[in-house]
Amino acid sequence: MNRIKTILTDPLVLATVSILLLLGIGELLSPGFARGDQIIRLLVVSAILGMVAAGQSLVVIGGREGIDLSVGALISLGAVLAGNAMSGSDGGILPAILVAGGVTFVIGLINGLGVTLLRIPPLVMTLGMTGVVQGGLIVLSRGIPSGNAAPSLMGFVNRPLLLGLPGVLFLWALLGLGMWFLLRRTQLGYAIYAMGSNERAAVLTGLPVKLIRTLLYGFSGLLAGITGVVVIGYTGNSFVSVGDQYVLPSVIAVVIGGISLAGGSGNYLGVMLGAIALTLLQSVLTTLQLEFWGRQLIFGGVLLLLMLLYGRTKQLRV
Amino acid sequence: MNALGFLRSRLWLVTLSALIALFVVNWILQPNLVTPNVLKSNLSVFLPVILVAIGQTYVVLGGDIDLSVGSIVALVNVVTVSVIAALGGGVGGVLGGIAAGLVVGVACGLLNGALVALLRFQAIVTTFATGIIFGGLALLVLPTAGLPVPAEYWRTYGSSPLGLPVVLWVLLAALLIVALIAGRPFIKHLAAAGGLRTAAFQTGLKLAQIRILAYALCGLFAAFASLSLTGETASGDPLMGRTLALASISAVVLGGTALAGGSGSAFGSVLGALVLGMIGNVIFFAGLPFDYQTLIQGLITLLALAGGVLVARRN
Amino acid sequence: MTPVLEATGITKRFGAVVALSNGTLSVGKGEVHALLGANGSGKSTLCKIIAGTVARDSGSLRLDGGDVSLKSPREAEARGIALFYQELSLVPQLSVADNIFLGHERTGAGGFLDSKQLRADTEALIARFASVAGSGFTADAPVSRLTPDQRQLVEILKVLAHKPRLIIFDEATAALDRRQVELFFTILRELKAEGVSTIFISHRMDEIFEISDRITVMRNGATVAAFATSETDRDSVVRSMIGDVAIRDRVERTVPASTGAPRLQLTGASNRRVRNVSLALKPGEILGLGGLQGQGQSALLQGLFGALPFTAGSIEIDGKPVRIHKPAEAIRHGLAYVSGDRGRDAALHGRSIFENIASATMVREKLALVWPRNLKPRFEAAAASLNTKYDGMEAPIGSLSGGNQQKIFIARWLATDAPVLLLDDPTKGIDLGAKADFFALVRELADKGTSIIFYASEDAELLSLCDRILVFNSGAISAELSGTTLDSFHLTNAAYGEVA
Repeated sequence: MNRIKTILTDPLVLATVSILLLLGIGELLSPGFARGDQIIRLLVVSAILGMVAAGQSLVVIGGREGIDLSVGALISLGAVLAGNAMSGSDGGILPAILVAGGVTFVIGLINGLGVTLLRIPPLVMTLGMTGVVQGGLIVLSRGIPSGNAAPSLMGFVNRPLLLGLPGVLFLWALLGLGMWFLLRRTQLGYAIYAMGSNERAAVLTGLPVKLIRTLLYGFSGLLAGITGVVVIGYTGNSFVSVGDQYVLPSVIAVVIGGISLAGGSGNYLGVMLGAIALTLLQSVLTTLQLEFWGRQLIFGGVLLLLMLLYGRTKQLRV
Repeated sequence: MNALGFLRSRLWLVTLSALIALFVVNWILQPNLVTPNVLKSNLSVFLPVILVAIGQTYVVLGGDIDLSVGSIVALVNVVTVSVIAALGGGVGGVLGGIAAGLVVGVACGLLNGALVALLRFQAIVTTFATGIIFGGLALLVLPTAGLPVPAEYWRTYGSSPLGLPVVLWVLLAALLIVALIAGRPFIKHLAAAGGLRTAAFQTGLKLAQIRILAYALCGLFAAFASLSLTGETASGDPLMGRTLALASISAVVLGGTALAGGSGSAFGSVLGALVLGMIGNVIFFAGLPFDYQTLIQGLITLLALAGGVLVARRN
Repeated sequence: MTPVLEATGITKRFGAVVALSNGTLSVGKGEVHALLGANGSGKSTLCKIIAGTVARDSGSLRLDGGDVSLKSPREAEARGIALFYQELSLVPQLSVADNIFLGHERTGAGGFLDSKQLRADTEALIARFASVAGSGFTADAPVSRLTPDQRQLVEILKVLAHKPRLIIFDEATAALDRRQVELFFTILRELKAEGVSTIFISHRMDEIFEISDRITVMRNGATVAAFATSETDRDSVVRSMIGDVAIRDRVERTVPASTGAPRLQLTGASNRRVRNVSLALKPGEILGLGGLQGQGQSALLQGLFGALPFTAGSIEIDGKPVRIHKPAEAIRHGLAYVSGDRGRDAALHGRSIFENIASATMVREKLALVWPRNLKPRFEAAAASLNTKYDGMEAPIGSLSGGNQQKIFIARWLATDAPVLLLDDPTKGIDLGAKADFFALVRELADKGTSIIFYASEDAELLSLCDRILVFNSGAISAELSGTTLDSFHLTNAAYGEVA
């Protein structure tokens, strides 16, 4: 009995069941929803969400109310920078990745320093950074043309590369392997779980907690920037608020994937499934022609529900 | 050293000096600043942030935070204009709409407070989530901007009874409420709850009740802000007030309230909100290209947060 | 005359642990009553029951001859019973006056704060302590600006402000210096003259004989003796505290401690909780830290480990001066720290046993990559040396009992082969079987040459295991016991002694 309960409340099982359920509902509402090419299209969208959610996962696992709300603005920044570096030519792809990734990594590190050195609550710090980056984007987008994606990049994201699957899906799978290696085979990965689980104990085993936490925000920025490059490959060109729509889903995908907002638990495989489930949910809601407000209510409600499950603080006692 | 310590415990004096300096710079850049009309229009622009910052102060003082204030402002706005329209306008309709708006504001605050203080949810993520829900509800009530309020509303808001503009009367009334709250034991209990929660608990204070009341006050002041904004825009807008959450937190920090809770005052936050507004003015009149203004505002907000947190911690 | 307070046969269990089997205490009007007992003798539990913060299981509690049941601190307060909190209950950001009257603010017309009255009441209270309050002790001063002893005075004033009839002072004088203690006693005598009764818990025997009218002694959860202070002496009180148990109960080491050069030498070390401590630790030696709880023993160990770094003094390891400002440095110099507060200091909650052991090894050996297959055999060997019972390295730490969890946290350090082991009350709350395994291991490690500093809140553990004991009082070493003085009489006497 207990065993059944454990299996049923396992985030991986829950996410998989949700995915199958949503596919069924989608097919029921609009036949053809679960067709092969449709599923590949949904997977590409999931991959984009999954990439930004990878950085979000690291920050959340690291604990201390870790969260990065600047990822939306950083995706936009990455997309705009990449668009300009490429301006439609394949030769610009590598510089695009370096510029977009480098700048967003540094901005992420600044987030991390604000959180560790100044002890600004992560949510407030990254929200404040969002304002700065958005301001910077307005300046940037006036001085230079908005830029567009190189044809190879667009092909990589949208057209089949191998086995009928676009290259971006292989990139996502590679990212999944990389995340597994980082979290399960390096000292850094073990340290992230340790400090998210019990920061005091982590310090007492000699782990450089502040340095690691700063790095985590840097990684989150870097992954958002790379996501921006993929986003411009997906849409063809960029605009200054292209990344805004990913902020909330990146947090929810992490929580659906079984990572507690209190930190120190979960893995990236769950988050990948969470990203797919959430993308499916959005797609079903679109099929239902549910308006924006309805989606907001559902997102906010899901987040509160997940808080009830994972996010409660301790009771005071005498 | 002593002078420095004196200033640290009275951070609002620093803010006040900054405000005076900004005012002088603003006056030099904009010679007609000190005329009744310009002052009034400035105050109209600053008033919503001032009101939201006052409410945010109580929540922060109690050791919590409210990121949903911007959405509360939007929800109150659309409820108010919709109720006025449903009641067919007129004085009665306007009063009914205002009452409905105030009730919605307080209800949102009570919900936040109950989730955080009774169910023990993390304040930051909870109000982030309720903010999304309040914003969604605002879009449900009024899907697109529009639905003008009757002339009685905005004419009254723009008028000057007894020789002083309504916006000034609103500010004075808000300051009076702040003074009334500052004179009651509640404010000490709130500071204790935010200062060292275990000590407050050991002393026997009713922490849940205190924190919920702080959220309710925050909702009430967000409703005041929304009603003022409605007087300004004269119509409904479900996306109103999006930047107010961060602006109010910046104003609170600039006004000398510790982000960790336990010390600070709503009067300081009023000064902080005025400083933020004056910075905007100075940037505008300094002839900076329009495109740079969001960036500068964002940078100043971030620096204010960082500096405020740093100074408060050294204290 | 009827006693103000009469507690008879009070019992209290926390789960399987009997905290109090027979709490009996009688306090007369205007009496200063000292309550004594070793750590864990039940005196704190009895006080909490009298103050309404803990509910009793059975027994009778009478106030002025009438039975009462106190369900909450509020109720006790309303009956005139006040508890002085050893753990401070002050809000640092608030002023002295606000703290004293928090929750009992002076209000005037319309429920508004009457700051004039508040200030007058506060100043009247402060005036009684005027000569000791020290500079900056005003009604308006924020508590965060006050020195620790000034804060303690605020705490005392907070109690006095409610004009109670019975005050329980749990270690009220711990942070006060001699002059301030004198003044505190002046206040106590003043209260006594006003007919206020006090229950006084102190770890300084001289104080107890100076101020108290009567003494009640507790041992193992029961009241064992009551004396009139004027009719007894120090020796009789100490003997009733330790009871009829054999005074000397130790197993001699089979391998004698090394006589060579010290492995670790500490000179003149001070931090927030200890002052001017010097010690030398030889290879293979088990050095005990004794005394009542909270006298600086943990702070010394945390100082050595870099968690509460020393602000003065020097550390030498194998004759070479070293700098230890954070745990990572201590670990690389071969130190290991096992805390008794597992949940707070050691447990990586929700993580596997493997991860819980691995964290220290990774840091000590600077491993960038972690290959569980290579590390597991080492970890399993470390866990096995303690007879740890567990269900594989991948099982979550929470699936183990408290004793087995603690074994895992010790295995964490065994896996690093640290030559110096700092044990901070490591057997707190673990079962007897696990304790026995643990003691056997400590002996074995010491025999193989590991140097060990061992703090225990239970005197019997120290006496049975240690080669030498340094007794702590108020953050300093008050006595060193070795050879013939290594017995419970000397240990208790030294623990209650004034700092030499």
